[in-house]
Amino acid sequence: MYILFLCLRYLRSRIIAYFAVLAVALCVAMMLIVVSVMNGFLDKIEQAAKGLFGDVVIESASAAGFGRYDEFIAELEQKVPEVEAASPFIVAYSILRVPGTDYIRPMQVAGLRLPAQAKVTSFAEGLGFQPGSETPSFDPPFEVLLETLSAELARTQAMRKDLLQGRATWDLPPEQAQLADVLQYAVDAQTLGKLKLEIALRYQAELGQVARALSEAEREHGPTSPQALKLAERLDEFREESGVMEPDNRVILGLGIPGLMHRTGDGQTIRLIVPGQNVVISVPPLGRGMTSDITPNNARLTIIDDCRTDVSSIDSEQIYLPFETAQKLNNMDAQYAADGELVRPARCSQIHVKVRREFSRDEQLHRIAVRINELWDDFTTRYPDAETTEVTARTWRERQARIIAPIQQQRTLVVTMFAIISLVSVVLIFVIFYTIVVQKTRDIGVIKAVGGSSWGVAQVFLGYGAMIGLVGAILGCVGGYYFVRYINPIQDGLDTWLGFRVWSREWFLFEKIPNTVEPLAAVLIMVGAIAAGLVGAMLPAVRAARMQPVEALRYE
Amino acid sequence: MSSPAIDIRGLHKSYRMGRTQLHVLRGVSFAVPEGQFAAVVGASGSGKSTLLHLAGLLDRPDKGALHLGGQDAATLSAARRNRMRCRDIGFVFQFYHLLPELNVLENVLLPARTDASLFAWASRRRDARERSLALLDELGLSDRLRHRPKELSGGERQRVAIARALINHPRVLLADEPTGNLDSKTGLAIMNVLRRFHKQFNQTVLMVTHDLSLAEQADRVLHLRDGHLGG
Repeated sequence: MYILFLCLRYLRSRIIAYFAVLAVALCVAMMLIVVSVMNGFLDKIEQAAKGLFGDVVIESASAAGFGRYDEFIAELEQKVPEVEAASPFIVAYSILRVPGTDYIRPMQVAGLRLPAQAKVTSFAEGLGFQPGSETPSFDPPFEVLLETLSAELARTQAMRKDLLQGRATWDLPPEQAQLADVLQYAVDAQTLGKLKLEIALRYQAELGQVARALSEAEREHGPTSPQALKLAERLDEFREESGVMEPDNRVILGLGIPGLMHRTGDGQTIRLIVPGQNVVISVPPLGRGMTSDITPNNARLTIIDDCRTDVSSIDSEQIYLPFETAQKLNNMDAQYAADGELVRPARCSQIHVKVRREFSRDEQLHRIAVRINELWDDFTTRYPDAETTEVTARTWRERQARIIAPIQQQRTLVVTMFAIISLVSVVLIFVIFYTIVVQKTRDIGVIKAVGGSSWGVAQVFLGYGAMIGLVGAILGCVGGYYFVRYINPIQDGLDTWLGFRVWSREWFLFEKIPNTVEPLAAVLIMVGAIAAGLVGAMLPAVRAARMQPVEALRYE
Repeated sequence: MSSPAIDIRGLHKSYRMGRTQLHVLRGVSFAVPEGQFAAVVGASGSGKSTLLHLAGLLDRPDKGALHLGGQDAATLSAARRNRMRCRDIGFVFQFYHLLPELNVLENVLLPARTDASLFAWASRRRDARERSLALLDELGLSDRLRHRPKELSGGERQRVAIARALINHPRVLLADEPTGNLDSKTGLAIMNVLRRFHKQFNQTVLMVTHDLSLAEQADRVLHLRDGHLGG
């Protein structure tokens, strides 16, 4: 009984032990923060890779892509039962312009089918104006867009009001004045977008009627008939007035494109361009397969939504077009001879494959990718025009191996380095315990004089060390947990007050620092801290145990 | 006839001090019957404390035999020696040796805690506490239960040490210069306490002191000189 009693009493009354507790707490917090951030970073990269491209990606080595994708997807879904869904995808490049401004910026174009892509990847989760929709599209109900845009406009207006607090812009410090100007620009842009959507909504009924009458007239009287031409003219007028392009000519912007959005110091996003407004893109048609002629294809597109993947490099550089539109702009659509014979089938850059959840382990995915490769080889013997250059299927992890593997190594390196640094706490506990044992020499003699055994004395100090480890671990764990949880506001605060920013979106790909703590990691670190306490106390405990009671009592 | 509480035969003990071997005890023999208050007197360095430490199983002799309550100390295992120190022997030291982190009551309870496992303590705690309180009450320390040793006077500290020594009802009480660090008035009071408890509990007491006037209050006085025992 005296062992536990003395452990607790020493822990409470020896102030020097608080330093050991503090050292352990700091090391535990440090390890927890490092492990959580590194694991979270890696996890985010993996989730992003998987979420953006599906479980398996089939892709061509050439920008010209590969053909017969719909036939292959059908075959895939039929012959590989593990496959849940698959969707073709186009990768192209473009110049983005905003009409009426001198904004111009190179962008990557992703051509995708909606809602098919949403069944394969997590694309739909990041859509800003179709939140929670299981069937997102390039033609969502305008009512839904208007509702979300109205809320966004109200939020932006509230931000501006909070910032100004009844003052004029010129009364604000320069940085705040600049933000107030940005917010005013955003309010104007969002009001304009809202107005356009309201007009489009009003015209939608008429547009539908005219479009139906036109197709009827074309069917009955021919496309060049006076009736059809008149209706076509009227349709164009309506479209011009509504200002919103047809679903084929719509675009979803990445929510991170510099100049089209503003990120405040505390991480809030201000949209400077919203659905209802138009942009123009110019696509050099790399899918044509002939480098001698890359005269760009141009298109005027209406913004219909924006998408946030939280991967900074994607959100700032990517726009999403309807698959067939991107295909056409990149000259990847089917080519026919003058006599109507198919010369080259329509092509895509990739096929994203979603595998059923029960088959999503790495080794299972690898086997499925191998199977898809075999299936493709067999497919191309039957459809030789499908492949121009080598097409391979890889799992998401294999595809991202060049990114993931170095980060894994980096994580191991950093965690090892910090674990070594944490050994300082073991040394500190050793030094503190050695000092305590020397100071307590007479007490050790007394404990032995009243019947305490050598092992009992050792247990007092080992228990004391373990308790220091435990208390330090608990404090460090709580501190580390809250630090990780609020790591982004802390970083924003540092940025605001000291102009010091550790996490750069550009360098680390993601918008925010990962802020989740894995319970298993926390438990392991706590066990490590208790072990550190025990190891640090080990030698002093042995010294105390081996002390002769007579010598201990005579110690001065 | 019952065996003596302490029976020492031909005890030798030496220490190495640098290069020289210091013979502290050179064949000391004596026996203290049950219930006797014996005092060992001698000059500083005569080996009094060494004798007491050997009798209290805190040290091992180089040669000779030591029997406590009829048991040969040489044959005892380490665990048995610990148990005997806890249950059968009580120590009172010159410098009190109270644990500074513990208050008066906790210091007194320490040997009782040492004698009990975590589970056994749950059942013994109440008895041990009542015994401690009774002892401290008798020693006039009832109002000092929560005080730390540094908040007590020398005499009070020694009284706490006596209570600690008696808490487990030991058969033998070993006192090493119990008044050596106190003024004469307080020393006398402590001596009275020892004598009172000796009578009250009929314990065997072996006290070492260099103060002859104190020793003369014992039932028997032994003189230790240059490692030998005389008259």
